[in-house]
Amino acid sequence: MNFGFRSLTRSALLASAILVSACGDDDDDITPPPPPANPAPTGLAAAANGQTAVNVSWTAPTTAATQFVLQRATGAQGAFAEIARPAANATSYADQGLTAATTYRYRLAAVRAGATSDFSAEASATTDEAPPTSNVVEVTTDITTNTTWTADKVYLLKGFRKVANGATLTIQAGTRIEGDFDVVGSSLFVLRGARLVANGTAQAPIVFTSSRAAGQRQPGDWGGLIMIGNARINRSGVVNIEGTGTSADNPLINYAGGDNDFDNSGSLTYVRVEFAGFGPAQDAELNSFTFAAVGSQTQMSYLQALAGLDDHFEWFGGSADAKYLVSYESGDDHFDASEGFRGRVQYMIGLQTKLLSPRPGAGNVSSDPQGIENDGCGSNAGGGCDLGFNSTPLTIPIFANFTLVGTGPGVVGASGGYGMVLRRGVGGHYVNGILARWPSAGIGYRDAATKSRENEGVFSLKGIFIAQTTNAFQAGQQTYAGPAGDIEHAPATTAASLFTALAADPSAATDLDWSLAAGVAPRTGGVTVFGGDLANRAGTFVTATAFRGAADPNGAKWWQGWTIYADN
Amino acid sequence: MKVSLTRGAAVVLALLMVPMVAGAQAPTGRLVGKVVDGGASIPIGGARIEVVGSAIRTNSNVDGRYVLRDIPAGVVTLKVTMIGYAPTTVTGIRIAADSVSEQDISLNSMTVELQELTVTAAVAQGSVNAALDEQRNSVGIINAVSSEQIARSPDGDAAAAVQRVSGATVQDGKYVFVRGLGDRYTTASLNGARIPSPEPERKVVPLDLFPSSLLSGITTSKTFTPDQPGDFSGASVNIKTKEFTGQRFLAFSVSTGYNDAVTGQDAFFSPSTSRDWLALGANTRSLPETFNGVDFTQSLSSTTTNALVNSFRNNWSARSRTGSPNGGFGGSIAGSIPTGGTGLNYLVSGTYSFSQEIRAGQQRALAAAITSAEAEEIDRFDGVTGRNSVLWGGIANLSTAIGASTKITLNNSYNRTMDNEGRRETGYSENLAIPLQIQRLRYVERNVYSSQLGFLHSLGGGRQTIEWGVTASGVTRQEPDRSEVVYSVDDQGRATWFGFSNEAAVRTFADLSEDAIEGNANWQLALGRMGSGALLRVGGLYRSVDRDAVNTSYSISLNRPLPGTADESAPEEIFDGRFAGQDDSFFRVTPLAAGGSYTASDRLAAGYAMVSLPLSSSIDIIAGARFESSRVEVASLSSAGEPSLATPEFNDLLPSLAVTWRMREDMNLRASATQTLSRPEYRELSPILFREVIGFDNVRGNADLQRALIRNFDLRWEFYPSRGEIFSLGVFAKDFDNPIERVYQGTSGTRIITYTNALGASNYGVEVEARKALGMIGLETVTAFANATVMQSQIELDPNAGSVTNSERKMVGQSPYVLNGGITWSHPSKDASATVLFNRVGERIVDAGELPLPDVVEQPRNVLDVSFRLPIFSTLSARVDAKNLLDAPYQITQGSVIRERYTAGRILSVGFSWRQ
Repeated sequence: MNFGFRSLTRSALLASAILVSACGDDDDDITPPPPPANPAPTGLAAAANGQTAVNVSWTAPTTAATQFVLQRATGAQGAFAEIARPAANATSYADQGLTAATTYRYRLAAVRAGATSDFSAEASATTDEAPPTSNVVEVTTDITTNTTWTADKVYLLKGFRKVANGATLTIQAGTRIEGDFDVVGSSLFVLRGARLVANGTAQAPIVFTSSRAAGQRQPGDWGGLIMIGNARINRSGVVNIEGTGTSADNPLINYAGGDNDFDNSGSLTYVRVEFAGFGPAQDAELNSFTFAAVGSQTQMSYLQALAGLDDHFEWFGGSADAKYLVSYESGDDHFDASEGFRGRVQYMIGLQTKLLSPRPGAGNVSSDPQGIENDGCGSNAGGGCDLGFNSTPLTIPIFANFTLVGTGPGVVGASGGYGMVLRRGVGGHYVNGILARWPSAGIGYRDAATKSRENEGVFSLKGIFIAQTTNAFQAGQQTYAGPAGDIEHAPATTAASLFTALAADPSAATDLDWSLAAGVAPRTGGVTVFGGDLANRAGTFVTATAFRGAADPNGAKWWQGWTIYADN
Repeated sequence: MKVSLTRGAAVVLALLMVPMVAGAQAPTGRLVGKVVDGGASIPIGGARIEVVGSAIRTNSNVDGRYVLRDIPAGVVTLKVTMIGYAPTTVTGIRIAADSVSEQDISLNSMTVELQELTVTAAVAQGSVNAALDEQRNSVGIINAVSSEQIARSPDGDAAAAVQRVSGATVQDGKYVFVRGLGDRYTTASLNGARIPSPEPERKVVPLDLFPSSLLSGITTSKTFTPDQPGDFSGASVNIKTKEFTGQRFLAFSVSTGYNDAVTGQDAFFSPSTSRDWLALGANTRSLPETFNGVDFTQSLSSTTTNALVNSFRNNWSARSRTGSPNGGFGGSIAGSIPTGGTGLNYLVSGTYSFSQEIRAGQQRALAAAITSAEAEEIDRFDGVTGRNSVLWGGIANLSTAIGASTKITLNNSYNRTMDNEGRRETGYSENLAIPLQIQRLRYVERNVYSSQLGFLHSLGGGRQTIEWGVTASGVTRQEPDRSEVVYSVDDQGRATWFGFSNEAAVRTFADLSEDAIEGNANWQLALGRMGSGALLRVGGLYRSVDRDAVNTSYSISLNRPLPGTADESAPEEIFDGRFAGQDDSFFRVTPLAAGGSYTASDRLAAGYAMVSLPLSSSIDIIAGARFESSRVEVASLSSAGEPSLATPEFNDLLPSLAVTWRMREDMNLRASATQTLSRPEYRELSPILFREVIGFDNVRGNADLQRALIRNFDLRWEFYPSRGEIFSLGVFAKDFDNPIERVYQGTSGTRIITYTNALGASNYGVEVEARKALGMIGLETVTAFANATVMQSQIELDPNAGSVTNSERKMVGQSPYVLNGGITWSHPSKDASATVLFNRVGERIVDAGELPLPDVVEQPRNVLDVSFRLPIFSTLSARVDAKNLLDAPYQITQGSVIRERYTAGRILSVGFSWRQ
C-alpha cells in the first residue's frame, strides 16, 4: 500500500516534470531547469527475510554511480544512519543482524563524481516475529507416573489426556495449562485412583484455558477438567462420562461402581477453568469442572469456571465438598448435581448476563441455563436408575450461601432460566441463598419424588431470598410446605440494588462486587442455627450465617484478585 | 406429449380390437413352459416336446423354455423326451382358445428300468404349482412365492409379498426378518445379483422398492448352498423380474383405492412441489447454494446469517388437506422380434402408483424408571401424520439365443419412490417441564437401478453349462430439507416459537448413494451318464460396492427475542424474511453436530465348488464349500473434523452339506448343515459418535467388531399329495459365534447406542406348511393354505458391554411365532378367484431394554386381506382388494408404557386389467 502510494506519487512527479519540460520548449520566458546531473536512485524496495534480516533492492540508475549510500532508521520515528556503501554495480543489499518484529526504514543515495545525490524515497520492512520462547510443553501422552508441572512453563494439552495408573500430577501455583484449540476436545482427565494436586494462590492461581489468544476465545475451545473418583453413585451397570467414547484417543470412561465415599482425588485450590466445554458429539459436551464419583477426602476451594459451553460445575454422585466457587457466563447450568451426590458446598457465585457464542462446531449453548439444576437420578440420560427417581444413594447435597443472578427476560428461552431446578427425586438443603433476576421463576420444584424428599426430611429450602423474579416457584409444579419465612420473595427488588457493584455487562473484576449493599434485606435473615438432617449433614464444614448470599458483609471479598470476567 | 398420448390411445384401441377379430377364426391356443431337471432344478435344453395326436412339436431352448403354437382348443396330452431322462407324459392340459397356457415339466433322470412317467396336470395349473415344483426340486430349503400368488393378494410390493412366506415377517413394511432373525441376517438380490442398500445406517434392502407387478416371483432360500453368497442366516431373498416366457402379450391395468382413514378425511400433509408426483422433488429441496463456502468454524456476520435464513424454503408447517383416493396404472408388453434363430425376446413393463396414508391417533412416548424399576410414561406426544407416496418403475428385459447353445439376457430395472410426510404433534417434555408442539416435514426419495447382462452356454450336448454375467446396479436415497419446528405452550395456552433452543428450527439434509458392480461365473458339468443327476459346479464372484453418505443439519435459533408477540406467529411468518432484513440480528445459524457423513468401500471375492451326487436312486447329496474374502473400508469424519478409518478384513471358508431323500415320488426328507456368516454393517464399524438420520439416537460404531459365524441345521419332511398341494414339517437350529447386537451405553449425559459382539446366541424352531385343495369335502375349486413357524432364541451378552437389563434374552427381532393363512377359490375355467389372507406375528423385541427397564416390544396385530379377481370379458378382468380389514393398531410397548401407536386405515381398491 505504502509503496504503491509512493510510486504513484513518484510517477506523478515525473510526469509533471516531463510536462513542464515539454512546455518549456515553447515558452522562452521560463528557464528550463537543468536536468539533474546527479539524480536520486529509484525503485527502492525492502523485504523482510526472516526475523533478523531485510533485503533491500533498487533499480540500476541510468546514469552510472560510483557507489551508493544506504541509510537505515528503526521504527517510524527513528533517525537515519548510514549502514553501507554498496558498489556501483550493486542493485541490492542484505541487511542482517536485525531485531525480530521490528520495522526498519531505508533510503539510498548515489555518489557520482564525489557528489552525493538526494536520497530516494523511503522503503520499509518489518522483520518476522520470533516464535514464542519455548516454555511451552506439549502434553501429547497420558501421565502415568508422578509428575510436576511448574509455573515457568505453559502446558499445552493435546487430545484427551489422562492422569492414570494411580499417578499424582502436581501443578505449581501460577501455572498455565492450555487446551489446544487445534486438537479437538483437548482436555485433562484425572482417572479413578489418580490424583491432581493443583494448589494455586489468590496471587498466582492455576489457569486452565484455551490456547487461542485473548479476544478470540470462545466457549468450547477445549474440553475441560474431569475428575473421576471411587465414591458411590446411584446408577448401576456401566455409566460413562458424557463426551467420551468418540474416538480411539477418547475411549469410554466408566465412573459407576465406586465404593469408597472417602476417596481422595487430590486437591484443587485457586483454579480457573476457562472457555472449556467442547462437545465431542451432539448433546455430549464436556463440563468445565466434572466431578464424577469424587470422594470426600478431595479438597476443593476457590474455583472459577468461566465461559464454558456446558455446565460449569457438575457433580455426578460422590461426596466431595467444596467452598468458594465462582461461575460466570455458563453455556448451560452453573451448578449441577445428580446421581447420588452428597457433598456440601458453601459460598457459591453464579452470574449470567448473556449467552456467549460457542466455538462453531463445538456444540450448542443450552436454551435453559439454570443457576442450580439438581436431579435425583436422571430419566432421559440413560439407564441404571434401578429404583427410578428413588435410586440410592439419594442425591442430598447441601448448597449454602449462594448468590445466583440470571439474565432477566428476553435473553434465554421460555423453558429456561430458573434460579434452581430441583427434580427427579433430588433431596438436599438449600440454605441462605439469593436468587435474583431469573426470567422463568426462582425455583422449579418438580415431580412427586422430589416432594417426597421434603416429607422424608431430607429436603429443605431455608433462608432463601428471591429478587427481581416474578414467580418464586414454577407454576403447576410442587409447592414447598416449609414455614413462610424460609423463602422471602421480593420481586420488585432489583439485583443491581442488592450488591455493591453489578454492572450490566461486566468486563473487569471491579465491575462486580458481591458485597451486599448497605441496608438490603439479605444482609440479615440467614439461618443462624442448623437443626435436624441439615445439622447432621453440615457438620463443621458448613457454617450457619446471619447473612444470605455468598458474601459476608463484614468479611473478606474472597472472590477478588483471582477471578476474571472476560467474554472472549 | 398430447399427440403421442392420443396416438397411444389409438394404438390401445386398435389392439383391443385384435382379439375380437382373432376370435372369429379357428379356435387354437398356445402352450408355453419350461423343462427342468427334477432333481437339480436346472433347465434342460434340447428336450423334444410334442402334442400327442398331432404334428405339433418343438424342442426346448438352452434355458429349457418351449413354445407350442396353434394347438386346437381343448384338453391335450404332452409327451416329452430327452436322452438320459425318463420319457414323461403330461395329461390333462387345458388349452383355451386365443390364450396362452403355461405348463412347466420336470424330467426325472432315467433309472435302470426304462419306465415312462405320467403326470396329470392339475385343474389349478399355473405358477403356484411351478413355485411348489421349484420348492420341491430345489437342493436346499426354499419357499417360493409366484406371481400368481402375488396377483391374487393385494400385495403391492415385494415386501408385502414376502410376508406370505413361512417364517418371514416384515418390519416397517420394508425389512424382512426370517425365522426371527433380524434384517442383518437376510440378504436380497434381484435376479440373483445383490441389490445395493439405500439405508444410511444399515445395508439392508427395503423391499417396498419393488412394485409387485414387475415381478415373476420371489424365492426365499433358507439353506445355504455354496453357489450363493454366504452372508445370511435367516434367508436369502431373490426377487425375480418378469421375463419373456414365450408368451407374447400386451397388458394394461389401472386401479383406484379408497382408504377409510384418508379418502375424504381432513389431515395434515406436507406441502408438495410440482415434481413430487414423479418422485423427482428432491432437487427443489436441496441445500441452498448460499451455504456453499460458508465457514462455520468462524463466527458469521449477521448479513451472512440472514442470507442463510432467507435461503431456506419457507416451509415449516404441515397443512390441512382432504385426503384423496389412491391409484395406479401399469402396462406390459412382451414379444419376440424375428431376427433369425429364436428371435429377440423382449418384455417391457412399467407401473406407477400413488397413495396417501394417514396415521391417525398417533401416539409416542418414552419410558423411564420413576418411582421404581417399572417403566412409566414420560414425554408423551399425540399427533397425526399424513403421507403422500409415489412408487413407479419399470423393467426392460431382453433375451436371445445364438445358435442352439447360447442364450444372452439383458435385464434392466429401475424403480423410484417418494414419501412426503407431514406430522403434527403436541406433548409434554419432562426435561423442560413444559408442553411442546412439534411439526415435522419429511421428504424421502429413493431410486434403484440394475442392469444385468447374462450369458448361458450349453456345451458338450448339454453336459456342461457355463453361466456368466455382469451386473451394474446403484441406489440413492435423498432426504433433503427435513424440517422440524418446535413451539412451547405457556400456562395461558399461548404457543410461542421455542427459538432459544437449538432444536427449535432444524433443517436436515441427508444424501446417500451406493453403487455396485458384480461379476460372476459358474460352470456346471454333468458327471457320469446324462441325467444321472451327478453334477459338479464351480464358480466365483467378485463384487465391488461403494457408498457415500452425507448428512448435515442446521439449526436456526435466536440471539435475542423477536419483537412483541412475533414469536406467537406461524413459522412461515417468522422466517419470511421480516426478521432477517439487512439490519437484523435476531437469528443464529449453527450446524448441528450430526456427524453422519461417511464413505465405505466393500470388495468381496468368492469362489466355490460343490458336487451333487445321487448316492442311490432316492438319495441325493450336495456337498461343497465356499470361500469368501471381504475387505471393507469405512472412512468417516466426526462433526469436529476428526477422521477415522476402519478397515476390517474377513476371510472365511463356509462348508455346506445337504441330503435329500426321496422317500417316495411325492415325499422328500431333507437335512442340511451349513455355516454362514454375518459381517458388520458399514456404519457400525465407524467409531465416531453420530446422530442417526432415522431414529435420532446417538450411535457410536465399533471398529473392533468381528463378523458373526453361524452354524445352521435344518431337517424337513415334505409331502406333495398332488400337484399344487404340499404338507411339510421342518425343524431348524442355529448356533451363533459373535453375533452383533445393538446395546445401550449409559452416560452422564444422553444415552448412547453402540454395537457389540455378544458372547453367543442360539435360535431354533419348527415350521409347518400346508396347502390343500378341499376336494375331499366337495370343494374342488377351493384351496386352503397355511404356514406357521414357532421359534425360540437366546442371546448372551457381556454385562459390561452396555447398560442392558437382560444380558440373556431373546434376540432382537425374534417373534415366538409367525402365522400366515388363507383360503382361495378359483373358477375352474375362468380367471375368477377370491382369496382371503391372514397374517399374525407374535410379539417381538424391537429394542433391548436399558437398565432397569424391560425390553421394547412390538405387539402382535391381526391382518386380514381379501382379494377378488373377476373376468369381465375375455381380455378384460377386474380386481377388488380389501386391505387391512381389521385395522388393528400398530403398537410398540415397553412394560406398561405405549411407546408408539397408530392405525393406518382400511383400503378398498378396484382395478381393471386388460391383457391381450
